[in-house]
Amino acid sequence: MIEVKDLSLKAGNFRLNSINLTINTGEFFVLLGPTGSGKTVLLEAIAGLKPLNKGKIIISGKDVTDKKPEKRKIAICYQDYALFPHMKVKDNITYGLRFQQDGNKLKYQENFELLVNLLKIEHILDRYPLFLSGGEKQRVALARALITDPDVLLLDEPLSALDAGIKETIEYKMKKLHQTLKTTTIMVTHNFREAYYLADRVGIIKGGNILQTGSVEEIFCHPKSLFVADFVGMKNLFKIEDIKNTFPLELESKAGYLGIRPENIFISDKPVKDAYCFKGRIINFINNGVYMQIDIESQGYIFTSYLTHNHYSQLNLTEGKEVFFGFYPKYMCLI
Amino acid sequence: MLNKKTELLFVISLFTGAIILLFITYPIINTFSLTKPALILEALQDREVLQSIYISMGAAAITTFISFLLGVPFAYFLARKDFKGKSLIESIIDVPIVIPHTVAGICLLTVLSPRCWFGRMLTNLGIEVLGTIAAIVIAMTFVSMPFLINTAKESFKWVSPRLENVSRTLGATHAQTFFLITFSLSWRDILGGMILTWARAISEFGAVIILAYHPMIAPTLIYERFTCYGMIYAVPVTAILIIISLIIFIILRIIASGRKEEIF
Repeated sequence: MIEVKDLSLKAGNFRLNSINLTINTGEFFVLLGPTGSGKTVLLEAIAGLKPLNKGKIIISGKDVTDKKPEKRKIAICYQDYALFPHMKVKDNITYGLRFQQDGNKLKYQENFELLVNLLKIEHILDRYPLFLSGGEKQRVALARALITDPDVLLLDEPLSALDAGIKETIEYKMKKLHQTLKTTTIMVTHNFREAYYLADRVGIIKGGNILQTGSVEEIFCHPKSLFVADFVGMKNLFKIEDIKNTFPLELESKAGYLGIRPENIFISDKPVKDAYCFKGRIINFINNGVYMQIDIESQGYIFTSYLTHNHYSQLNLTEGKEVFFGFYPKYMCLI
Repeated sequence: MLNKKTELLFVISLFTGAIILLFITYPIINTFSLTKPALILEALQDREVLQSIYISMGAAAITTFISFLLGVPFAYFLARKDFKGKSLIESIIDVPIVIPHTVAGICLLTVLSPRCWFGRMLTNLGIEVLGTIAAIVIAMTFVSMPFLINTAKESFKWVSPRLENVSRTLGATHAQTFFLITFSLSWRDILGGMILTWARAISEFGAVIILAYHPMIAPTLIYERFTCYGMIYAVPVTAILIIISLIIFIILRIIASGRKEEIF
């Protein structure tokens, strides 16, 4: 388990403010936040690469706040992979072994073979990093980080520099790797889709402050602030005070906003029972590749829905067409 | 149209390049045309000539070694740390490059002569500096060390701190990381800086002559022969110094360029 207690630090003009986090052993924790929110600084602070102004870092019950990075059993993978350019892939992967003092060569040999097989990098072991693709570099960086059996793996936007196709492959391999090795992992990213796919739990960071932590379900379906809601892709955000006068919705008076994820808004050519269902007019289509974004106008409000291409073609939608749309009460998020 | 403009620019660049190459090579080649192999061989048997070349080469090598030992750790510090007054410190390091070298010699003399407490202390300790090889090394180091510090600093800056971070988290200490990663990636550039430092030290005259006319380094000998006996006696020694400097320079350049392109 990793515990970050009341961590504060100042790096240049940037400040992390009283960060408190608990990450359970074997968990895949994703720290989600926009560029410049302090994600990487926090990772580097956990790794011991940035000095703290205040606070504690406890790993597996031991206070490591004053320990040097090489004594923490933490591995880090950067967005730009940070492979050692003067070493071949094999030497990159085994770099950390020369510093391990337990002398368990057999275990590390097994780790090496397991990682090389899992990440399918056997054919590139004798190459220099210059001659690797982005995906290959990322796999090598992962193998290098994991070969020493770190207690914690820190991933700094590991997928952001990859092409879409390779990204999916690496995402899958990362998930598989985590399921196999169960290494406690903290990944930072600004992409909520990556968090949705990989995370056991998610934390949202902005301006050096943690805004919310929770399970994927909690963060994505029950965000506690408008920023979090918007950041995790909740498109339909309406002020309750305004919308309750227009649509007959049963809403708590305490909440300020209603949010509905776009994938939870259905479109139908007939009314749907047991759901809030309204009439609206299609005003816009956006083909996002894997799904269709449909904007529907109803009584001056615009609702956004995501449909699969299959569903979209079945509905035979055209711009200006009148449709029924709506959502089930369980998908309403009150903020 | 753009292509034509670009081509014209290349033509101008080529023309200016030709002028530069001619400007550098013609005087050197012409030096050899003014002497004969027999005179060069004769000069090579002259004890005074050989001794001055040994002193020049040796003092320049010691200078480079001292610059390396003192300069590389400091260059690493400057490359990695930002602090108040850093620009001032970097400017101070560059001062020896911008001041005239005879002025540098005078500045050093004011410290090493018995007029200064430091010079008096050395005298009291029985350490003779002025007029010795030590003075030559001091003068050479003063004017040439900035080249090594600046080259090493730029080279270290080029190595991403993230490589060092990864190395540290994989279990390497700061020192191990420096030698296995940072220095391993920078050594060719640092060697390039050492070549510059050595070359600058070999060519130093102004500061050295103030601190140590004797023992004579090759540039002092050439100056003396030129002023006392004329060009005909100065040219063979000049030719020898050019040949030796070029051979060492070329060998070191080949080592410094090495296999770098293949890896990066």
